[in-house]
Amino acid sequence: MSHYPVAGTWTSCPACGRHVHQSQWGRWQQCPYCHYWRRLPAVDRITQLVDPGSFTALTTTVQSQNRLDFPNYDEKLRQAKLKTAQTEAVITGQATFAKWPAIVIVMDSYFMMGTLNTSVTRLIIAAMQQARKQKLPVIIVTASGGARMQEGLYALVGMNLILAEVARLAAAKLPLITVLTDPTMGGVSASFAFKGDVVIAEAGATIGFAGARVIQQTMPTTLPADFQSAASLLAHGQLDAVVLRPELRAYLSQVLATYQLSGGPTHG
Amino acid sequence: MDERLRRLRAADRISAPTVIKALLPTMIRQRGDRVLGDDQALTAGFGRTAQQQALAVLGVDRGHDLATRRQKNGGALTVAGYRTALRVVNHAEKFGMPVISLINMPGADASPKSERYGQSQAIADLIAAMGQLTVPNLVVFLGEGHSGGALAFANANVMMMLDDSLFNVASPEAVAAILHGQQTVSDAIDLLPMTADQLKKRGLADDVIDHTRPDLVALLCQQILTRVTDLQGLSGTALIAQREAKFQTFMDWWPVQ
Repeated sequence: MSHYPVAGTWTSCPACGRHVHQSQWGRWQQCPYCHYWRRLPAVDRITQLVDPGSFTALTTTVQSQNRLDFPNYDEKLRQAKLKTAQTEAVITGQATFAKWPAIVIVMDSYFMMGTLNTSVTRLIIAAMQQARKQKLPVIIVTASGGARMQEGLYALVGMNLILAEVARLAAAKLPLITVLTDPTMGGVSASFAFKGDVVIAEAGATIGFAGARVIQQTMPTTLPADFQSAASLLAHGQLDAVVLRPELRAYLSQVLATYQLSGGPTHG
Repeated sequence: MDERLRRLRAADRISAPTVIKALLPTMIRQRGDRVLGDDQALTAGFGRTAQQQALAVLGVDRGHDLATRRQKNGGALTVAGYRTALRVVNHAEKFGMPVISLINMPGADASPKSERYGQSQAIADLIAAMGQLTVPNLVVFLGEGHSGGALAFANANVMMMLDDSLFNVASPEAVAAILHGQQTVSDAIDLLPMTADQLKKRGLADDVIDHTRPDLVALLCQQILTRVTDLQGLSGTALIAQREAKFQTFMDWWPVQ
């Protein structure tokens, strides 16, 4: 079947449906027709954001388990691992941004929609503890549908446990910068996403608590075209800035440069 | 509807205002968030018990007939409700009053207005404030409570549940929906630990109370006071630590590897 293109060469744009060639998506993964920003895997996000070669991963691997024997959860985990080559929906590490060091926490929407579960909670908390130890600012890039339903309340309590850690970060006077990317919903939106000292969103991101589909099931209503869009959240005073993908790195570098925290060992 | 859920959502279900009235013979109502308005689903304020113990209360109920259900949005708290609760919590912290939450609420208020006014931040702020309280706080599940909205009240030192009440990451309907109808709503209740007994076994619920007791309201008031008295022996720092440890221990049951 040599007349067929190699699988993966062409993909249809999730927004406009047009067929886009690999090379057309380009470095920033933007649809050339409708200008939709394609969701980025966490690895690609890190490559785009931090100084080349500066990223050191914090925790190596986790192995999430289906402790409650929830139907199909094992299979979903298996597929997510295959698809992303990651063990969970978040990558944590240390990196520099124009030489300014920070702890970075990047969620991956390609791993079970970036949902918050026990493993993701533990990884995020461990990264924040590391930040306190090294007196470093924290940058969280969110991409999540909310709490992972397959882990029940065990996933939900991640919200208050992470917020308890955020309180310690605040007490240590370390900056928390949250970058909300597509999508940031539910339990992630209603916990640490908006708890940043600086809260920004990537252009084109959908951000909210209850999704548009759920709202329309509850009440028959026509939602505006820009409903829950980063631009409308900015207009309604819920964000400090909406930043285009190619400009995120410079923006974050500038924020870190303004705080002027170079880190260092803790004393006492 | 599933029989268990029907009971929790029934018009004659024990409601937060009933318990609050019995608990606090004198009460100063606190209404409104000073920005967006007043949420009728929230019965909040502070007062003194018959034994002169000062308490702050936050009650969420669904309403008992069509008119009150409409007024109260079926118990789905709006941004104004969470923000009012936050005001009550900050006031309680300031004057050293323990905070008692009594809830029976569906999931989030899924509406464009709640989204527009920042439902996410409102819930996050209340979860965080509850976690950092240096006064004791306690939650009573009088019916059901799900998702982040219920967690905002449940981030407490002590969790009490009526024996037929439910607390979950999402409503049983939502759990059934993600399984694409492979399970009924009734089955969904047993799929995840959300019943009072299950949560007691797993260390999240501290007291489970028989909802059929004829002296239920008096018993609840008594148990709330007993728990508050116990907690008042702890320092502010110890209360914050106990609260976090409670949820940490619960989560630690889930293996790391």
